Amino acid sequence: MYGFEAMTFNIHGGYLEAIVRGHRSGLLTAADYNNLCQCETLDDIKMHLSATEYGPYLQNEPSPLHTTTIVEKCTLKLVDEYKHMLCQATEPLSTFLQYITYGHMIDNVVLIVTGTLHERDVQELLEKCHPLGMFDSIATLAVAQNMRELYRLVLVDTPLAPYFSECITSEDLDDMNIEIMRNTLYKAYLEDFYQFCQKLGGATAEIMSDLLAFEADRRAVNITINSIGTELTREDRRKLYSSFGLLYPYGHEELAVCEDIDQVRGVMEKYPAYQHIFGKLSYGESQMLDKAFYEEEVKRLCLSFEQQFHYGVFFAYMRLREQEIRNLMWISECVAQNQKSRVHDSVVFIF
Amino acid sequence: MGEENEATNTQQSTTESEALNFLDSVDNYLILIESLTSTLGQGWLELSSARHSMGGSRLNNVLLTLKHHSAPTTVELDYDNAGSMTKSKAPQLTLSKWKPSATQESNESEATTSPLKTENHRGKVLSMFGGMVSPKLRASQLSFETALETLVEIANVRSSVLEAHRALKLHKG
Repeated sequence: MYGFEAMTFNIHGGYLEAIVRGHRSGLLTAADYNNLCQCETLDDIKMHLSATEYGPYLQNEPSPLHTTTIVEKCTLKLVDEYKHMLCQATEPLSTFLQYITYGHMIDNVVLIVTGTLHERDVQELLEKCHPLGMFDSIATLAVAQNMRELYRLVLVDTPLAPYFSECITSEDLDDMNIEIMRNTLYKAYLEDFYQFCQKLGGATAEIMSDLLAFEADRRAVNITINSIGTELTREDRRKLYSSFGLLYPYGHEELAVCEDIDQVRGVMEKYPAYQHIFGKLSYGESQMLDKAFYEEEVKRLCLSFEQQFHYGVFFAYMRLREQEIRNLMWISECVAQNQKSRVHDSVVFIF
Repeated sequence: MGEENEATNTQQSTTESEALNFLDSVDNYLILIESLTSTLGQGWLELSSARHSMGGSRLNNVLLTLKHHSAPTTVELDYDNAGSMTKSKAPQLTLSKWKPSATQESNESEATTSPLKTENHRGKVLSMFGGMVSPKLRASQLSFETALETLVEIANVRSSVLEAHRALKLHKG
């Protein structure tokens, strides 16, 4: 019952909530980012990060460093923290934590399938998979020729199996079919996660509904913008939008027929929650849209920590760490390419 | 005596025009080099921005296709002797963008490719990273395309720089 979590939450979730709040206090601050933005080389970045929680993960890396190495090692830290929380969690928190990783699982499946289609070696594809999305039979994906085989041979025994019912066909896999499969799977996953959080009820349902609805709306906008000028039909585009969120259903109907960024802007400005996001952009421009969405997401994620006794803090922490890793990746790329003047184009401060 | 002076003056003015021609060519060359550096820098940053937007798993080198496919863009080399003062053939490079090769589609005899087909070719190349890619990746593709055009122009200008230098040496020496 909502409001009575304070009586029972700490029995099973108290320790892990304390752990995740402790991890949250280890997120990089504005002062850390200012120091990192002034670095001249990637070794300088490594030196500054050695004073943070990333220190132990980067200290043994030899010079010259690469940006991919920095991202890889920072991701390992996130994975270690996640695995520690998962092994300590009981139901339903353990299921909730597993839900957080299904997005990465979908990305890994698509990476393996696409790489195999392009005749790449499976081992080099596996090295590029996100560690949070790994599962036992992932390498077997390389033998499938179409989605029916993908499901029958491999995915039927994975948590993604229920999401395949909407996209099983015997059509051969090509780049567009794979893209549609990716977005259909992600849509089914988001809807399933949303339903799960609703069943949990209480503060978790309230906070996660807002966060997942924002995710669904952002995906709808990105799908619309990325599919402009492609062979994806309006009907197919509309099928990729999730069945919840602020934009569902009327915003989706309007987004499905948009042919340029200004039409997308016209649709989104009707929603007060998104007016200020699109207000930051000039007409015809979409370069800063990602940053505007990330800033809004970070604001909502940070707000979830203001309330206690709910699972939203775990989701929020994972997403904030991923944002931090994106920031580090961008700063590293700007430093490596000698483009430090552009570093603030994509860095989103968390605190 | 008068004829000798006239011949000397003519030779001097020819040498000066050759020198000017050489310096102009070098100036063009340096401007193009700077333009190329700027365009490539922009292209790489846009690629990083696309990677930041789409995620590392959607945009990385393991997705580049190893399947055999013909190049939609070719460079043709021609030797042009017209207007050359030194009687040596100056190489000229011509870029053919987004057109099928001569051995591929023999029934496509279009002299130019329509803008729609060009867009389709561009989209097809990017589809190795997915059917729906970020506009930042498309911007990066355009930057690298511009850089390729600049490179071909640099090669041709370099050829004219060497040609002008040879002509200058010939008249001076």
